[in-house]
Amino acid sequence: MVKKIWNTILFVWMSGVIVGAFIWATQQKALKEYTRIIYFHVPVSWITVLAFLIAAVYSFLYLKKRLLKYDAYAEAANQLGFLFAVLATVTGSIWAKVSWGTFWNWDPRETSIFILLLIYAAYFALRSAIEEQDRRAILSSVYAILAFVTVPFFVFIVPRIYFSLHPDPVINQTGEVNMDFKQRVVFFSSLITFTAVFVWMLKTKFEIAVMRLRIKKLEREK
Amino acid sequence: MNPVYVVMIINLIIWAGIFGYMLNLSKHMSALRKKLNKLSDNEH
Amino acid sequence: MRKAWLILQKDIQQEFKTRFAVNAILLFAVVTLTAVSFSIGTYSASQEILAALLWIILFFSAMSGLSHIFVREEETHTADTLKLVALPVNVFWGKFFFNLILLILVEIIIIPLYFAVMNFVVIHTSFFILVMLLGSLGLTGGGTMVAAIISKASAKGALFTVLSFPILLPVLVSAISATNSAVGNDPVSLTGNAIQTMIAYDVVIITASVLLFDFVWNE
Repeated sequence: MVKKIWNTILFVWMSGVIVGAFIWATQQKALKEYTRIIYFHVPVSWITVLAFLIAAVYSFLYLKKRLLKYDAYAEAANQLGFLFAVLATVTGSIWAKVSWGTFWNWDPRETSIFILLLIYAAYFALRSAIEEQDRRAILSSVYAILAFVTVPFFVFIVPRIYFSLHPDPVINQTGEVNMDFKQRVVFFSSLITFTAVFVWMLKTKFEIAVMRLRIKKLEREK
Repeated sequence: MNPVYVVMIINLIIWAGIFGYMLNLSKHMSALRKKLNKLSDNEH
Repeated sequence: MRKAWLILQKDIQQEFKTRFAVNAILLFAVVTLTAVSFSIGTYSASQEILAALLWIILFFSAMSGLSHIFVREEETHTADTLKLVALPVNVFWGKFFFNLILLILVEIIIIPLYFAVMNFVVIHTSFFILVMLLGSLGLTGGGTMVAAIISKASAKGALFTVLSFPILLPVLVSAISATNSAVGNDPVSLTGNAIQTMIAYDVVIITASVLLFDFVWNE
């Protein structure tokens, strides 16, 4: 029952954000109609980083407590992060096509999302290479943490070395948000919605992971 | 192409991706649940 | 630290017997250099491209040789003995310095060759040496740790480059941009950022490796 209420709230909120983004919010001068992309593209990118953080936290917990559950959680978070990274890449490159003329031009942000995709791919490749459960859990946890400590370099430092085409006035290096009131409302509600959807998906993935572990245990007992 | 359509396409891609993934997950979950029930039934 | 020194000595002695790692990494570097030189020719490439190519050669050479040190321990089954006699931290430092020496040795041979063959001209020599040192530190730091992971995984070697590349990319990118200023394309004053990034990266990756090595080694 409680779950149903939450789902309804999430659904209404989500629709509200979409309607608000398309009708209510004003447009940025330099970006015109494309302002609206920010309300969807940026939250998706944010979730990619969030998923990566959660995966690193669970990897750390696994190394501390040695419960296979945590390793399964880290894998689940990474799989979701991969999905969102792909969505951010696809939507970003469509935007790049319409506003910069090419689908891909190694803008620092594009580089960082691409590297994130590579890290995810490497993580899954490592997992698939190891048969033994505990060994796989340890090695992939270590790799996830090692990869995570290099992420700040892509997100904050590399974009400073190279010139970026990404519209800085909207969200810039210093963390200021240059938006008017309406834009701000829609942007932050969208951020909250996407995070809520992500949490929901993550919970579902966790449930599946726990079920898998239980099945494996039951099968071994037989 | 009208910019609004571009924005709409981008939006649709995101939601389609999320919903597609969730549908896949729920299919997965019901299959797992079936298997789990079968396994625990056999035990008793 | 004394134990680390002993492990380093042991590895160097062992390496002297077979010279496998040195030969593999050095020949790989020479082969790549030859391939690059053949396909580009002597005078056609700009200094900017040459700076990037130098780092690509060094990166792939490092990838061909750095994993050897751990794979050998696993193959000869000496890892267990080593676990008994030394702390993981000391093992890591021993292996790290071995790889660092290996990489610097390769650089000492490859870079003069690169100058001669590719018509590569460095204007700020001391700056260039600093960049090479910082870059090598970063490459070995991340490379040694990933090599430890790989040696425990069943698919040896094949995954090494795939796993290392995303982790080593920050140091590669900033090293290339700093080398660009060393050859005189950009003024040196502009690349303070790249040098800072490399120093920060070296510190972060080596610290993280030291802390995480315990888990991999005693797995």
